[in-house]
Amino acid sequence: MKKSFNRSIESLSDVYEFTEGVLAANDIGDAVKFPVHLAMEELFVNMVEYHPESSEDIVLEVEAEDGKVSVTMRDFDVEPFDVTAPSTPDTDAALEERTPGGLGLYLIQTMVDNLEYNYEDRRSTVRFTKE
Amino acid sequence: MFEIDYGADGVVVCTGRLDAAQCAKAEAFMDGIKEDGVLDFGKLEYISSAGLGILLKTQKRLATSGAALKIINVNNHIHDVFRYSGFHAIFEIEARQE
Repeated sequence: MKKSFNRSIESLSDVYEFTEGVLAANDIGDAVKFPVHLAMEELFVNMVEYHPESSEDIVLEVEAEDGKVSVTMRDFDVEPFDVTAPSTPDTDAALEERTPGGLGLYLIQTMVDNLEYNYEDRRSTVRFTKE
Repeated sequence: MFEIDYGADGVVVCTGRLDAAQCAKAEAFMDGIKEDGVLDFGKLEYISSAGLGILLKTQKRLATSGAALKIINVNNHIHDVFRYSGFHAIFEIEARQE
């Protein structure tokens, strides 16, 4: 299933409903649903926040088969942003040394199975799977 | 959908999905917590890094006056997110009895 979404944080509820529809129709369990929803939110928010130069919709594609979920997210007319570059926040730091932020990419890289990034013709494509 | 409010016993009850679009609501409420507090996540299904940021910001603010948040009834998925994020070292966290 493929669908376009307005480049706005307010689209998150629609992104969730769209994704949940595909996952529920394919009997995907919570242990896979949760990281898929989380990774999609983190990636979508990154696209919205870090690419204000674009006015294009963000195109999402979610497929599920035999318990495995595959997601493709396309962001058009943007500068490159490699979400596979290793994110290494210091999660052992004491409270006074921690600052809010910097966990999104780390959580994606920790919780999904395969994360790929491609940039071509000012178009970013992110793919991941989870099973 | 995300809701946050005081329960009957003074515990802060969080319900639904705390995503980036709901953070303003969560932050406005949490900014009103001035002393030790307990967050009941028994009805919270989901949290993303945006929500983690609000929790961390609140815990840092409270720590300056010697206070802290405790988070109870955490589901196993959110528990995993806390564990990956190192939140067990900076919050008192109790898992939900599944």
